[in-house]
Formats: sequence, C-alpha cells, structure tokens
Amino acid sequence: MSLLRYAVTRALAIVPTVLILYTVVFIVLRVIPGDPVSAALGTRSVPPEELEAIRERLGLNQPLWRQYVDYLLGVLRGDFGESMTLYGRPVARDILERFPATLELTIFGFMVSVVLGVGSGVAAAFRGGLVDRLLRTSSIVAYTLFIPWLGLMLKYVFSIKLGILPTGGRIDPRVDLNVVTGLYVLDSIITANPAALVSAIEHLILPSLTLGIVLSGVYTRLVRIHVAEALRSEVAIAYRARGLRESRIAVHMLRISLIPTITMMGLQFAILLGGAVLTEAAFSWPGLGSLLVERISYRDYSTIQGVTVFFAFMVGMVSLIVDIIYAIVNPRVRY
Amino acid sequence: MALANTRVILAAVIVIIVIAAGFYMLFFRQQAANVVVIGTTDDVTELDPATSYDFFTWEVLSNVMAGLVTYDQQGNIVPYLAESWESQDGGKVWIFHLRQDAKFPDGTQCDANVVVRSIKRVMTIQGDPSWLVTEFVENVEALDQWTVKFTLKQPTGYFLAVVATPPYYPVHPNYPEDQPAPDATWGGCGPYMIDEFVRDQYLRLKPNPNFFGEEPKNDGVIIRFYEGSEDLRSALEAGEIDVAWRTLNPSDLEDLKNKGYNVKEVPGLFIRYLVLRVSQPPLDDVRVRQALAAAIDRQDIVDRVFRGTMEPLYSMVPSGMWSHYPAFKEKYGEGPNLELARQLLSQAGYNESNKLMVELWYTPEHYGDTEAALAAVIKEQWEATGIISVEIKSSEWGTYVDQLSSGQMMISLLGWYPDYLDPDNFLTPFLLSTANSWTGTGYANPQVDQLLRQAMTSTDMNERAQLYKQVQEILAEEAPFIPLVQGKLFVVTSTEVTSIEVSPLQFLIYSSISK
Repeated sequence: MSLLRYAVTRALAIVPTVLILYTVVFIVLRVIPGDPVSAALGTRSVPPEELEAIRERLGLNQPLWRQYVDYLLGVLRGDFGESMTLYGRPVARDILERFPATLELTIFGFMVSVVLGVGSGVAAAFRGGLVDRLLRTSSIVAYTLFIPWLGLMLKYVFSIKLGILPTGGRIDPRVDLNVVTGLYVLDSIITANPAALVSAIEHLILPSLTLGIVLSGVYTRLVRIHVAEALRSEVAIAYRARGLRESRIAVHMLRISLIPTITMMGLQFAILLGGAVLTEAAFSWPGLGSLLVERISYRDYSTIQGVTVFFAFMVGMVSLIVDIIYAIVNPRVRY
Repeated sequence: MALANTRVILAAVIVIIVIAAGFYMLFFRQQAANVVVIGTTDDVTELDPATSYDFFTWEVLSNVMAGLVTYDQQGNIVPYLAESWESQDGGKVWIFHLRQDAKFPDGTQCDANVVVRSIKRVMTIQGDPSWLVTEFVENVEALDQWTVKFTLKQPTGYFLAVVATPPYYPVHPNYPEDQPAPDATWGGCGPYMIDEFVRDQYLRLKPNPNFFGEEPKNDGVIIRFYEGSEDLRSALEAGEIDVAWRTLNPSDLEDLKNKGYNVKEVPGLFIRYLVLRVSQPPLDDVRVRQALAAAIDRQDIVDRVFRGTMEPLYSMVPSGMWSHYPAFKEKYGEGPNLELARQLLSQAGYNESNKLMVELWYTPEHYGDTEAALAAVIKEQWEATGIISVEIKSSEWGTYVDQLSSGQMMISLLGWYPDYLDPDNFLTPFLLSTANSWTGTGYANPQVDQLLRQAMTSTDMNERAQLYKQVQEILAEEAPFIPLVQGKLFVVTSTEVTSIEVSPLQFLIYSSISK
C-alpha cells in the first residue's frame, strides 16, 4: 500500500469515530434531564410564552431526528450552530477563540513533560542505583498527583508567598497585545511586543509546570527502560569496544531509544489536548476544557456538541499525523 | 560542537528573556497607577442589554450605560438621562424629558430617537430579558428630539423601577437594529466606555470623555474573571487585583479580615427560601406546611452555615425594602417554635410512631459550596421535632431547574435576586397563580391573585403597601414558600483602595473607587 493510500485510509477512519462520538453526546444530552433554556434562565421569572418563543428560536421544539440531522449537516458545512447560552453567538467563534489557549497550554505543558520526563529517564538509566530508584519513585508520585492540588501548591508558593508569578489567566490585562494567531507567546513575538511576551510566559509557567510535572512520569519510565536496554545492547558494547566516550555513546543510545518514545509523545499530545481541563480550571485558563465544563452545567447542547466534535477531530488528526510519521519511519506498518 | 551550539542558543534565549523582563518592569508595571483592578468569579455574558440577563453583566452595563432614571443611595428613583417625567392617564402613559448634554464616547448625541430605537430593538430581538419591556410597554415614541413617550398595556405603579433596568438603557446606534451583539463594545452614554473585552479573561474600561455626570475617581477599571472563589482569593493575596467582588467563601472573608484587608459589608437583596409543593400530599395539608415553617431556626442557619454573612428573613420581601412585613415572625415567632410544630403535626395526624416523611432537595454548586450544609442543618432542625423524618436529595443545576418546574421535588432550596427594585418582584413571580409555574409549587389563591393585580396597577404607594402586607400575611398563613435568610454583600479590597460604593440595586459603582 502506498503512503498516500495509507494516509487516506487512516484519514477516512476519523469520520466514523467523530460520528459515533457526536451521536453518543447527542443522545446523552437529551436523555439527562434539563434543557438549555431553563438551565440558563434558572429562577428568572420569564413568562411561559416567552420561554416557548426562546425554545422555538433555538430549535428545541423540532423532533429529535431533525435536530440530529440539522446539526450534522451544519457541521459538514463548517457551521457549528449558535450557542444556546449566549444569544446569537456562533459556537465556531467560541471554539476558535478558546482553542489557541488550550493549544498553547498543551504545547508548553508537553514541552515541560518531555524535558522533565526524558531528562529524568536518561538520568535514571545512566546513573542507576539510588538516583534510579529516586527518579522511578518520583515519576510514580508525579503521575498520581492531583492536578488542582499541585496547581494550588505552586500558586501558594510562587504567587502568594514569593509574589513572582501570576495566579491565573493568560496575560496581564494592562498589556496591549495584537492577537494574530491566538497563541499569545507567538503573537507577542510576531508583533515585537516584549511586555506581552514576558507577561504571556509568566502566565504560562505555573500551568505548564503543573501539567508537565504530572505527565512527565510516563516519559521517565518509558525512556529509562529503552535507554537502559540500549545501553546493554550489542551496539553499545561495540561502541565501547571502539573506545568511544560514554557521553557520545549516550547520545547515540538516546537517539535509538527515542523512537518508541516519540510515538508515545504523539499519543500523549492528543490526550493532552483534551486532558488540560483540570489545569485550565485550576488556573482560570480560558481554554476549550473550561468552556466545555462551563457550558455542560447550562446544557448548551450546540456548544457541547461542537466542542466534542472538534476535540474528536483534532485528536483524530494528531493520531493521523503520528501514524503517517510512524509509517514513514517504519514502512511495514502500512500493510 | 552540537553541545556548544545548544549552549549559545540557550544563553541567547535567557538574555532575550531578561531584556524583555527588564522592559516590562521599567515601562509597563509603573503605568496606570490609578487603574482599579476588580476580580470576580462571575462572567460577562452578553454586552447587549437586549439579551443579557444576569447580575454581573447588568452591573457592567449600569457602569457603561445610562438609563432614563436611576437610584440614589437611599433607594429613591432620581433623574439620570431624563431630567424630569410625568405620568398621565392614571399611570398608563409616561413622558420623559431628556437632558441635552448626554453623549456617547464618540460624541454621538443620546437623544429621544436613540432611546426609542434602543427600546424597540429590545422588543424586536426578543432576547431573554425582553419581557421587562414587552410585558409593560405597548408603544414607545419620540415626541420631539428630547421627549420620549411610553404608552403602557395597563397602568403600572412601579413602571419607573422597571425603566431603571438595563433593557431600557439606550445603546449606541452602531448596535444592529434587529440582531443581538454579544461582544459589542460601542456601549452607551454612561460613565465608562469599553476599551477592550476579551471574553472570559478580562474587560477593560476607560472613562467616557463625554459623560454628562461627575468624572470617575479613577483612570479606568479592569475586571478580571476567575474560575472559583479560591482563585479569587489567591489573586487578591498575590496583589493581582485591588478589589475582590462576588464571590468569596464566608470562611475566606474572616481570614482576609484578620490579614488586614478591608472588608466592606453591604445589605443585600438576595434571598434564600424553601419551595413547598402544595399540590401534593403531604404538603397539601396547610398544617404540615405551617409546622415546617415553625420549626425553622433562621439564626442557627446564619451562624452555622453562613457564618454571619446572611441575616434571618421572615418574608419573601427583603428587610429594608418598603412594604416589608415580617409575617413569619409575627405568626410563628423568631423560631424554632418546636411546640407549635408538634401541635400542628399532631393535628394533621402525625406522631413519633407515624412520622411525617419529607424530601428536601438542594443543588450542590449553583449557590456556592454551602448548600449541602444548609440542607443538613434544616434536616436537623425539622427532625428536632421528633415527628419529622427528612431525606436529603440533590441534583446539579441543569437537572434541578427542570425538576423544579415540572413539580418533581417535594421541598427545594432556592434563591432569588430581583429584576427590578419593587416588592412586586418578590411576590408576584411566586404567588400569582399565572406566573409561578416555574416554581413547581402549584400554589393558587384567587384572593392573592386579586390583591397582587390590584397592587400592580395602583399608583398609590400607601395603598400598594397595604395590599402587599395582606399578601405577606396570607403567605405566612399558607406557607407555600418559607423565607430563610437574606444575603449581605461583601467587597474585599487592599488597603490602598478607598471609597467603595454599592448601588441600591447591589451593583458596584466603579466610578467611586480610587486608590
């Protein structure tokens, strides 16, 4: 099978995944009690005829199959509908505004987790003994840490006690930033805005550390195993026999052992996109995760469906890219 | 070689960051000393008075826009955009004479045509709060450039209170005529203009250079949005915000006071109450409802659950509002009146071996994290009679309101915040049989309906007060709702901040804050 055909086949597999997820979310939302109008208005004394008019406007009086099909057809046209909580506001706009925040946090959290995880994995494999045991234990501890708790601890130390980092948000509101991509660090570099760059980085440090520390545990153990195996391999023995320095051998062995880790990184990145929810909540980070949580409580069907479909699509795309890279590296997987 | 390159790159990155940080510290952090930063756990939903219908957005709009009338600090309705007004035809026609110096930040005049267009826009768009216009107004027209005439569907004694709400605020002509504009920043002709709105992150306001009233005491206001009360408290302690406003936990308030922060307490109009489903047994027996009302110990709730941040309430009309009558205290005493409760239950056929079984519902997050404790304390108080057995149940907000309106909950805990400042808004939505279906109580009393309708259309304050007193007496007698406590509002500020003022509508007045 050619690479192109392989890629097309894998891409087509995303469609049923997204469709199944959309269907499940659609059904679950309608099965659980509560509707967007009463959830949003709560105990406001809106006259019953006004309530009915709002339901009519939102299409909630349509038969379920019609709501299902209409939304699906809309998504195919790139229209995710209008928010049921915010009158007339397109869901696509919410997604486009919030996604860069999640993506930026994911990228930085990912970088922290890789640096910490790969670094500690290599150190554990090379040093062995007490260092190995300590790093292995700490990696388990890191993985089991509850994100909001870790976030709170970091905020307490660095924001409240030391006063050197902000407690939440993406940027100091007193800083003017021309938003180009929505990734504030990138935008402040593009627009040559040092104040915005510093502020954006300041705001990213604690959430990225929180996310990164927790997720680094996976890499530590994975890298440690592969590097340790590589160090015991015949190739390493051959290098030593040729008199290569240990540091040079280490670099070679790390390259070999990183191949399975890279696959893991791809998968982890996809999980991170959806998994930053707790971190977003802990740092008032205005990403897609917090949007989803906020709108669930208001039964905002269109936003919940839209974000879910978008997440599913993004995760599918990341998996596709990982698969393609892997297929290039290892052509046997195409068959 | 590769390692050397990496070091050079690393060093370059560090140098760039240090230089950038230096720039930041030197040129940015010293700026805007008198810009006040307010933190909140609320959100701005829609910056359009045609569709926004939540407390905090209304607060922002009240600082950015100006209505025809407003309230003074004593709660009296006073001129604002309108210099004067008169009512004709027994309160069916209202004519407002506008001031001629009101302008939007860009210099556009705020005249009668703008006012009429804005109100008709609300009626056309039919957003959630539009009923505040459509329920009352039949027609609105400009008699000349500075005169607006309202013709109402029926005479309404409290129309000025309704006119003071945001759906009546004139908006800039840039707002589309028949479409909502949830992210609009053109604003109105109030003390501030919207400089920047980044949804769910912050809102930046600057003084309106053309504001007709007193100049704000600050150079601008920034509102930062936080996810929860813990975040809000952290932000205050880290010095990121000057004012923490809505909502900190009661325990945080005590701590912050002890740490030297200024904690300002303001009487609130927010009430908490119980809804009793009177159309189903066992609550269809009025003696049962009366027994439940008698066994409540409000002071205990205030002390144990809310740590003094609320006060006991003995009517649905909050204390401090004209026509408030503490009907439940008059009928049942301060409470708990366990003897009376036992007596009433005994008359209804209940005793220690045949206990009254009731279900008490609460929703865990919508009213803060004290709800479970509130339900537990009420259970304890009722069970202290020895004749009542309470089963506590809960469901999250989306489900809760659905269960409420469909009458699936026997007794439920709710809260209420007024749309407009009049006793009508604390009685009609609950007791008028054609308006209270959302409560699921099933309560209907023709006499109460008649009293409420009479009070609605009367323009005589004394007569209205008398009518509302009668309604409150019947409310205590029949107990379809049991008022529990009334909220206080707390504004916590750093020591630099001075002069915090909260309007009678409980909105923070941004223009009075300085530091």
